[in-house]
Amino acid sequence: MTVVEESTATTVASPVGQSVGRRLLAYAPILAVAALAALVPLRYSDSGSMMGVVTDGLLFASYAVAFNIIFGSTGQLFLCVGALAGLGGFASAIFSDRVGLPMIPAIVVATLCAALIGGLLAWVSVKRALETIFIGIVTLTFSLSFDNLLLGRRDLTGGETGLFIESGGDTILRERVPAYYVFLGLLVVYLVIFRLLQRSRTGWAFRALRDDKLAAELAGVDVSRYRVFAGTLGSAMFGLTGALYAHSGRGFIGPSTYAFGEVDVRVLVMLAFGGIGSLLGPVVGAATFTWLDEFLIEYRELRLLIYGVVIIVLFLGFRRGVVPVVVDLFHRLPNRQRPR
Amino acid sequence: MRSALVDGVVLGLQYGLLGVGLTLIYGLAGVLNLAHGQIAVLGAIVVALVVDAGAAAFPAALLGIAAAGAFLLLLDLTLMRAVYRQEGERRVLLGLLLMLGVAFVIDGFLVWRYPVEQLALRVGGDAVPILGVRMTRGSLLASGITVAAGLVLVVFFRYSSLGRGVRSVIQDEEGARLCGVSPAAVRTFVFAMSGVLAGLVGVTRSMTSPIGVNNTISFTILALIVAVVGGLGSVSGAFLAGVLLGVVDRLSSFYIGTYVTTIVLLLCAAVTIVARPSGLLGRSPP
Amino acid sequence: MILRVRGLSAGYAGKHVVHDVTFDVDEGEAVTIIGSNGAGKSTLFRAMLGLLHTVSGTIEFDGRDISKVPTHAIARRGLAYVPAERHLFAQMSVVENLLLGAFPRRADPEVEDLVFGLFPRLAERRKQAAGTLSGGEQQMLAVGRALMSKPRVLMLDEPTTGLAPRLAAEAYRALATLRDAGLTLVVTEQQVPLALQLASRGHVIENGRIELSGTSAELADNPDVQRAYLGVA
Repeated sequence: MTVVEESTATTVASPVGQSVGRRLLAYAPILAVAALAALVPLRYSDSGSMMGVVTDGLLFASYAVAFNIIFGSTGQLFLCVGALAGLGGFASAIFSDRVGLPMIPAIVVATLCAALIGGLLAWVSVKRALETIFIGIVTLTFSLSFDNLLLGRRDLTGGETGLFIESGGDTILRERVPAYYVFLGLLVVYLVIFRLLQRSRTGWAFRALRDDKLAAELAGVDVSRYRVFAGTLGSAMFGLTGALYAHSGRGFIGPSTYAFGEVDVRVLVMLAFGGIGSLLGPVVGAATFTWLDEFLIEYRELRLLIYGVVIIVLFLGFRRGVVPVVVDLFHRLPNRQRPR
Repeated sequence: MRSALVDGVVLGLQYGLLGVGLTLIYGLAGVLNLAHGQIAVLGAIVVALVVDAGAAAFPAALLGIAAAGAFLLLLDLTLMRAVYRQEGERRVLLGLLLMLGVAFVIDGFLVWRYPVEQLALRVGGDAVPILGVRMTRGSLLASGITVAAGLVLVVFFRYSSLGRGVRSVIQDEEGARLCGVSPAAVRTFVFAMSGVLAGLVGVTRSMTSPIGVNNTISFTILALIVAVVGGLGSVSGAFLAGVLLGVVDRLSSFYIGTYVTTIVLLLCAAVTIVARPSGLLGRSPP
Repeated sequence: MILRVRGLSAGYAGKHVVHDVTFDVDEGEAVTIIGSNGAGKSTLFRAMLGLLHTVSGTIEFDGRDISKVPTHAIARRGLAYVPAERHLFAQMSVVENLLLGAFPRRADPEVEDLVFGLFPRLAERRKQAAGTLSGGEQQMLAVGRALMSKPRVLMLDEPTTGLAPRLAAEAYRALATLRDAGLTLVVTEQQVPLALQLASRGHVIENGRIELSGTSAELADNPDVQRAYLGVA
């Protein structure tokens, strides 16, 4: 079994035949997370910078959930999270400020752009039957090309200086605390989507094709269609998140906002730490690493070094991720029955 | 135009050497060394530090190159053990993530300790005209060293017993074991060799432009592109791809611009994967 | 006794395929292990060579325990194995494959001559890539490669796999020559008549267990063996 498979080895119960109460219980963890997260601004609403930090945490958790759908569910190593989010962000900026669309339609169009590109990448990977590492390299080249494109086309993107976005300047997105709740809402929606997929026939298909592509094909699962679907959906989520972010906060995006080194690396590490394929893995990972980044701010010079050491130690020790390990321990408690 | 071509070949030979180190490790151990560029620069910085301490350039260079080799050797003997215990896709992912961590550690260390340290080996003397193009002595020396290294590699892999052993593990690991070849020993050897090659490129590049911590990531990306275009696991492929991409690099920089050049090179890798995943000289996928 | 196997159990992913196998091989003997598909012949050999993880019981080669010794070390000690899939180096030439057989030592030109003498067809194709050889030639190369290490014991797993009857007989003629020269042979086979002709003793393996042992003559006369493997009603 691969790293990915092992973390979801605990079977997800099918909703068929369960009572309504039981079905809703599956979403309880999401509510718990939402409730906890809703309390956070009460503590930090005074500090603009801390609100920025926790909002970033929500942002990365959202990226991680979307990445979980693409990589966790169908094993496609999309190393272009930042690029797709950036596509959403810059496209929305251009469509609203330059082309003149109102904010919401601009965001929608930008999301569609991201979905299109992501879907295309997935489609090409499927058509050419690319292995994980090759998908990784192709998407990486897209990422790095995008990073370079941003720097090169300064007429559109502001190049190295970045872009200030006027559109949305009068919305609640520009205020710290309301923006936080908007992103929390987005995260909850993403988590619900993930859970819905997990428990649906699509989720079953995902697991089947990840475990053994050939067997899945023989069982009638259209592997190509599911992979492209996951790629498109996840990419749309990247794009939407990126676009929303562009219009929020100070309304500023630059080359480092969506850079590979800033976004992809962190998302990958967060998800792998939290548990690829698990529902709350992204949340646990994002929370942990957002905290870690804040903690490391004091050690400015050593930050990169410590980050590297943490990654190494993490993956030598926590190969499956925190959430699957915890869930497993929970199931091993005496007198505890596995959910039927 | 001709000058761009010659520059391209000079650069390309070194790109090739850079790619060879990466492609060997992937072909042998299934590990994508994302810290390859970092190790090349690490070697160069060691040379710079030793020269600063008063040593002559040549022994300093040897020391730096040896240090790079020793570093990867150590990595194989320690971190990589956990990676080898995995198989297939699991191994690839774990190897990738661990090497990413190593890249951060090296980058982080250099940024912390030696953020402005650079290696620039100046080779004295006037420019020499070759094929109607004036080449600096630095370029010439770098090219000469790279070609010599390439020849050594070719002879090694083709005619030596150990070289055959390495090839055997890449082609059929079980068959190699049955012939008495120890895959673990071969892996360790290749890791060390890859480090030496990386260090060597760090040194040769410094003969034409200063090398410091800012070059780590671009070196790694270059190595990756060259290895992919040449065909992961193919040494001759990496060399060929290196020269071709070096020429593309120079021509593109000359006629178009630097930002676009990076994109062009990246596109070469992407197109290779999509059109012919086995690369120029790699084996066709089974 | 050059090879001693006692109570060997082995398998894949925790499930045992071979159960409690015990047998001996004397130096200079030719012994065969016969059984049908899936009986556990390949698993047995792979376990002996250290190619499998789950192993219990003891395996002694030349008086020393090899159950924990890695495959390449076992090969270097003089136990050569030709697997059913051969595992040749497809992109290397015939000569290069043979040279690797001798790894880490230098190839002995006498042994090289012996191999080419035994398999003249290989001599004609010295520089040809192993992957382009025919099935029969590949089998010859696999055996030749194993011989290059000057082994004390040669183990072959179903050497007639994929070979036409004429080639199979040729292969066994070559093996007989080696046997007569004093090389210890252990051969697993589905094609029982050839195996019983070559070997002096044999064991029948079924469902991972040794069910029957005896001299070749005894086995050939045994009605169960005749029914199961010799096509006699």
